[in-house]
Amino acid sequence: MGIPVFLLIVFPSLFFAGIILRTKSICSGRKGPSISQPLRDIWRLFQKSAVYSETASFVFQIAPAVYFATLLLAIALIPLGGRSGLISFKGDFVFFAALLSLGKFFNIIAALDTGSSLEGMGASREALYSMLAEPAFLITMASLALMTGHYSFHGIFGALRYGSSLSLAAGALAVFVLIIICLIENSRLPIDDPATHLELTMVHEVMILDNSGFDLGLISLAGSLKFAMYGALISNIIIPHGLAWFYIIPVFLALQISLAMLVGMIESFMARFRLNHNPQYIFTLTSISLLIFLGALIISGKIN
Amino acid sequence: MTIILLIAFIISLIHLSVSKRLKTYVSVLAFQGILLFGAAFIELIRINLVNLLFILLETIVIKSIAIPYFLNYLIRRNKITRESEPYLPDFISLVIVTAIIFGSFLLSGTMYTSINRLFFMAAFSGLFTGLYFIISRKKIITHVMGFLVMENGVFALTLAAGAQMPMLVNAGILLDIFASVLLLGIFVNKIGGILKEQEAGQLRNLKD
Amino acid sequence: MLGTYFTGALVISLLLLLNRKKNWNYILSVAFLILQCILTVYEFNHQGIQELKYFTADALAVILLVISCIISVPAFWHSYIYFSKGKWLPREQSIYFSALVILLTSLSGAYLSGHIAVTWIFVELTTFSASALVYHRRNLRTLEGTWKYLFVCTVSLTLVFIGILFLTMALQQVGLKNLSYSNLLANAPLLNTFWLKIAFLFIFTGYTCKAGLVPMYTADIDAKDKAPSPAGALFSSVLLNAGFLGIFRFYLILSHTGIFSWAGQILMISGFLSIFVASVYMYKVKNIKRMFAYSSMEHIGLIMLALACGPIGFYAAILHLVLHSFTKSSLFFQTGQVYRIYKSKSVYDTGDYFRYNLAGALVLLSGFFILSALPPSGMFISEFLILRSLFESNHYWILAVVLLLLTWIIWSMGKNIFKLLFIPAVEPQEMSMEKIPPWESLSQFILLALVVYLGLNPPFAFTELIHNAIKNLPG
Repeated sequence: MGIPVFLLIVFPSLFFAGIILRTKSICSGRKGPSISQPLRDIWRLFQKSAVYSETASFVFQIAPAVYFATLLLAIALIPLGGRSGLISFKGDFVFFAALLSLGKFFNIIAALDTGSSLEGMGASREALYSMLAEPAFLITMASLALMTGHYSFHGIFGALRYGSSLSLAAGALAVFVLIIICLIENSRLPIDDPATHLELTMVHEVMILDNSGFDLGLISLAGSLKFAMYGALISNIIIPHGLAWFYIIPVFLALQISLAMLVGMIESFMARFRLNHNPQYIFTLTSISLLIFLGALIISGKIN
Repeated sequence: MTIILLIAFIISLIHLSVSKRLKTYVSVLAFQGILLFGAAFIELIRINLVNLLFILLETIVIKSIAIPYFLNYLIRRNKITRESEPYLPDFISLVIVTAIIFGSFLLSGTMYTSINRLFFMAAFSGLFTGLYFIISRKKIITHVMGFLVMENGVFALTLAAGAQMPMLVNAGILLDIFASVLLLGIFVNKIGGILKEQEAGQLRNLKD
Repeated sequence: MLGTYFTGALVISLLLLLNRKKNWNYILSVAFLILQCILTVYEFNHQGIQELKYFTADALAVILLVISCIISVPAFWHSYIYFSKGKWLPREQSIYFSALVILLTSLSGAYLSGHIAVTWIFVELTTFSASALVYHRRNLRTLEGTWKYLFVCTVSLTLVFIGILFLTMALQQVGLKNLSYSNLLANAPLLNTFWLKIAFLFIFTGYTCKAGLVPMYTADIDAKDKAPSPAGALFSSVLLNAGFLGIFRFYLILSHTGIFSWAGQILMISGFLSIFVASVYMYKVKNIKRMFAYSSMEHIGLIMLALACGPIGFYAAILHLVLHSFTKSSLFFQTGQVYRIYKSKSVYDTGDYFRYNLAGALVLLSGFFILSALPPSGMFISEFLILRSLFESNHYWILAVVLLLLTWIIWSMGKNIFKLLFIPAVEPQEMSMEKIPPWESLSQFILLALVVYLGLNPPFAFTELIHNAIKNLPG
C-alpha cells in the first residue's frame, strides 16, 4: 500500500524545480528552459566527482548523503488520500520534524566544517530561520492531532473533517502556514533568493558554496524532494475524505503543479524582505499556528 | 461564518503588529470595518431594522470609508512620514501581540457561553492591541490609529455582550462616532496647522 | 424640573455660542446661574424622586450639586474678571462661556443620574466641554494639554464603557437587564464576583482620569495647569467630584457582595500610590498651578484611603471631598490673580506677594494653612477622621508612611508658598504690575470661611445628608 504512495510523491518532485523555473520565465516574458532542464543539470552533476577542501573532514563528505536520506525517509512517512505511507506509527509527525532537523543539522555542521566564515554566516542564518519556523510546524500538526484525536499522519489526515466553519478556518490557516513554511525551508523568495549571489544577503546558497559534483546534485535534488514533501502534506489537508484512487492521483498532481506555479508566481511578483525583517515574518507563522491551536482546543471540546 | 470573520479580525491585528507603513494601518482599519460589518450583520439580523441600519452605517460608512479616507487625507496634507516608527522592534511587538491574543483567549475562557468565546477573544485582542499601539508608537496619528483599533475591539465586545440591550449598543456607537470625529476632525486639523511634523515628541513640553 | 433645566441650559449654551455681544454673554451667564440655583434648591427639596426615567436626586447627588452651585457663582464671577482684563476675541469669549455652561450642566446630569450608563455619557460630555476650556488660549502648550486631556480621557472612558459591558454580562447571567443603581444595589449579591471584579477594575481605572488618581492622572494635571484659572478651579473641585462619584457609586454596589474588601484594597493601593506620586512631584514642581493640581491628587488619594477603611472613613471621605472642593477652588481662583500680577506661574519669577496684593496674599496664606489641615480648618477634622479610620482598621504601616508623606508634602508646598509670599522676586517688573482691588478676593475668603464653618460647626442638614449618602455602606 505504501510503495505507490511513496512513488507518487517522489516522481512528480523531479519536475518541481522545472515548473517553478518555467513559471518565472513566463511571468517575466521569457520562453524559458524546458521543464526537465533542472533534472538534466542534476544528472550532469551526478556524473562528476566531488572536490573536497583540505580542511574539511569526513562530516562534510557524508552530510549531503545524510540530508538526502532523511528527506526520503520523511517522505516515506506521508500518507495520501486515506492510504498510509511506507511507515506509520503514533507520533510520526514528531519523528518527521526530527528527521528534517537532522538533515538540516548535518547541512549546518558541514558548512561550519569547511572553516569558511561566509558559510558559517549562511549556516547561522539558516539555523535561525528553521528555529523560528519549527514551532509553527509542530503547533499546527499538534492542533490537527488535537482536532482529530489521532496521533499519526495517517490517522490525522484520515479523520480530518470540515464540518463547522471553525474547522474550515483552521484547515485554511494550516494550508497557509504550511505553504509559507515550505517557502522558508526551501529558502525561497520572501526569505532568501536562490538567484542572488550577493554574499551579504545569501542564506542557503552560501551555505552550500563548497559542495560540488555529486554532492551538489544530491542537495539540488533534495530541494525538489522537500517541495514535493510539503506539497503532499498540503494536498492531504485539502483532498476531501473518501475520494477514489483514480480521482486522487489527478487531483494530487494538479495540486503539486499549482503549488509549484504558486511558488514561481511569488518569486516573480514579490520582492525579497530585508534581512532583519525575516525573523518577525517567520514568527508571524507561529502566531497564526497558535490561532489554529486555539481553534482546535475549542473544536475538540478540551476547553469550552 | 462569523467565526471566520473574527479569525480574520485577529489575523489583521497580527498583521498590524509587523507592518511598517501608515498606509497599511489605514487599509487594515478599513478592512476591520468590513469584517465588523459582516459580524454585526449576521449577529444582529434579528433585532429591529432601524437599529440594524444604524449599526451598519457605523461600520461601513464611518469605520471603513470615512475614517480611512480622512486618515489618508491627513497623512497627505500634513506630510507625515510614511513609517510608523515604533519604540520597540517589530519582532517584540509581534511577540507581545501574540501574547495578548493568547491572554485574551484565556480570559475569554471564563465566559459562560462557548458560542461567544471567539467574539470575546477578538474583542479583547483588539482592545489590548490598541492600547499597546498607543503606548508603543511615536506619532500622534498612530496613537489615534491605536485608539481606533481599540474602538473596533469595543465594538466587537458590544456585539457580544449587548446584543440584548440596544440602548447600550447605540450609546456606545454614538460616542464612538463622536469621539472619532472629534479626535480626528477638529483636533488633528488643529495640530496639523500648528505643528509641521506630527511627532508626539513636539508635544512633550508639559512636565515637571 | 430636570427637563426644563437641561433644555434651558442647552438653549443658553447655544445662544452663548452664537452671540457675539459681550454684555449678552454676561446676561445669559447670570440666567444660567439662576437656573442652576433653582435646580439645586428644587432637588434639595425633592430628594429620592425619580425624574426623566434615569435621574434620581439622592443625598450624595444633592451634596455635590450644592457644591457645584456654590462654586459656579465665583467661577463665573472670576471668568468675568478674566475677560474684562484681557483682550479676547468675542468668538473666544462665547466659546468659553458656552463650554462652561455645558460643563456645569453635564456635571449636574452626572451627579443626578441614577443609571450607570447615563452617568458615563454625562462624564464623557464633560471631557469635551473641558477640553474646549483647556484650549482657550490658542497656543502650542495649551494644544498639547488639550490633546493629552482629550486623548487620555477618551481612552479612559472607553475603559469605563467596557466595564459597563462586563457588568451587563454579569447581569444577563442572572437574567436581568436594568442598569440603574438601585437595581444593581439590590441584585449585587446575585452577580458573579469574577465579572464584578473585572467590571470594577475597568470602571475604576477609567474614572481615575477624572478624579486625578494613579494610574490615569497625568493628563488631568496638565489640563488644570493649562486651563484659565476659573476653569482650573472647576476641574479640581466639581469635575474631580464627578470622577469620585463614578468610583463611589460602583464601590457602593460592591458593598453588598463578597468582594467588598478586595475592592477596598484596590482603592487603598491607588490612593496610597497617588499620595506617593504627588509627594514626589510636589518636591520638584515650581509651577504654582501644577503644585495645587498635585495637591488635589494627594487629597483624592486620602479620600480613597478613607473609603477603603471602614465606617468612620466613609463619613470622613465625603466631608473631606466637600471641604477640599471649596479650599482648592478658592486657591485656584487666587492663582489667576498671581498670574495677572507677575505674568508667570513659576515661583522663580514671583515673590513678595504681600507687597503687591495684600488680600490675595492673605487668601494664599490662609488657604495653605487650611489645606495643610491646621486646626481652625475643617479639613483638620476630616483628615483626623481619615487617619483615625486607618488606625482603627489596623493599617499601621500605611498610616505611618502616609503621615510622613503628608509632612513632606506640607514642607514642599510651604517652601513654594512662602517663597511666593515673603521673599522678593529676582527682577520684579513693578512698573507693569497690575493693581488688584481687594474685593476681587472676597469670594475666595467666603469659600475659605465656609470650610472653617462646615468643619467646626456643621449644620444638621449637612451631616444628615452625608449620613444618608453613606447609609448603604456596611458598618
